[in-house]
Amino acid sequence: MFNLPNPQIGGPELFVLEFGDIVAYFSPYTTVLFAFALLFTIFVIVSRPERQVDIAFGGDAYYTKEVEPGLLRFQRFMAIACGLATLGAMVTGDVFNFTLFASLVGITNIGIVAAYRNRHVLNAAFQYGIVAMLATIPLFGGAAIVVASTGTLSMWELFTTAVTVPLIAKAFLVLGVMGEGMAPFYIAKAEITRAQGAPFILMVHVSSLLLFLRVMEIVISM
Amino acid sequence: MIEYLLFATFVGLLFHGIHRKVIARVQGRPGPPIWQEILHTLKFSFKQTWIPKTASQALYVGIVFVAIAIWSGALVVLLTGGSILLLFGVYLLHKIVEHGMGLSTGSPYTKFGAIRSVISAASELPLLVTVVAIYFFTRSLSIADIAAYQAANGPLLIIAFPAAAAMYLVILSKMHYGPFSIIEAKEIVSGNLTEHFGVWRAGIEVAYALKTYVLLYAFVLIFIGALPFWLTLLAMLVVLVSLSFVCAVTPMLSPYDTVTIQSLATGALVVYIIVLGVVMG
Repeated sequence: MFNLPNPQIGGPELFVLEFGDIVAYFSPYTTVLFAFALLFTIFVIVSRPERQVDIAFGGDAYYTKEVEPGLLRFQRFMAIACGLATLGAMVTGDVFNFTLFASLVGITNIGIVAAYRNRHVLNAAFQYGIVAMLATIPLFGGAAIVVASTGTLSMWELFTTAVTVPLIAKAFLVLGVMGEGMAPFYIAKAEITRAQGAPFILMVHVSSLLLFLRVMEIVISM
Repeated sequence: MIEYLLFATFVGLLFHGIHRKVIARVQGRPGPPIWQEILHTLKFSFKQTWIPKTASQALYVGIVFVAIAIWSGALVVLLTGGSILLLFGVYLLHKIVEHGMGLSTGSPYTKFGAIRSVISAASELPLLVTVVAIYFFTRSLSIADIAAYQAANGPLLIIAFPAAAAMYLVILSKMHYGPFSIIEAKEIVSGNLTEHFGVWRAGIEVAYALKTYVLLYAFVLIFIGALPFWLTLLAMLVVLVSLSFVCAVTPMLSPYDTVTIQSLATGALVVYIIVLGVVMG
């Protein structure tokens, strides 16, 4: 019944998962992305966090930062939620669902960063929150243009040659994903060195990169 | 397939040794023997190994296996004529490996390496542009289809030279001792590799050897075409030596210069893609 219209992009369809009229699909490409997201979600669940070593400026002293267990629980919860949202985004066969998962990744990413009790880190979380909120406009705008111009949000229809998706819709989707996956914005600032890195902050980058990889497959296929 | 993976690891390590030798000779030094990286890997395999007390243990160990797994997978993709989009995916996932390796230890030096790894994410963008440019010509991202296209129309190295230059830049950005090797710069000890020692380091050396083999093989396969086995190896060696020359005569750039140059290259390639899009419809 289901045949992926363009196996020359991400490889042939391996199997599909039907949720009513929303059909998730596993090609070699989406399967690899799904497996990678799953692996890092498991890391988040089972791995103990790193204990940061800080070097005192101007001397040779160093110390290990204290971590509050309560904050860690919240960070771990957010990181797992982020992993689950990423899993959904990797295999969904519906553009609207993809945008929903992407925005969920944005929300959980802010949660992961904001859980660290430090003024600089919280300032960063606030700024990235603004970026993520702004990014929802092109993200959902892109999906809206797709449905307005083609009448469908199903990738099974959009990937066929019979349907032409406007270039502006594709550009909006990429722009939205780049805003929701905030790793490039976050990492370029020094706040990352103040918050714990592994495994929770790492999930921010995993989800961002995987979202970017998936949206590239979607826009090339459309 | 296991034999081929072992062969690729061996050749990749040998390539790393040749890379060091060529750099040394260009700089007027004798340099280490070309099998030095193989000896390094064997040495690390038998050294005492433990996990630092401050590390996120599962991630610290797991990331080494992830590194080997993704590049083994990439080699399989190449050999089976899979999608270069998958290859692009693996290349980006390697960024997570570099990043995870640095973040998992608790050390500030590895963390700086990890941060540099992500701020140099601009190095991935030329590969994406390469993928799009190739799609313009071949209308397929399958390596088998790309090889068939080249058999009929000539090598993409000539037809899509800017795309080849972009991929060359991508490989250069992943070479040791290169102008873009900021993540393992000596001012941050060994960057994200600092705290991985013993068997873990040997595992990383194996993964990096596979990475070098896969990237050089992909370059030859995508831009020159499917050649006989020994000719492919020779072409890979020629590309490697040219990269070594670039690394030997170019100082390591500062992190922000690295990002600037890679972003400018990406910008130029985006213009190329837009022109292609207009010309080829």
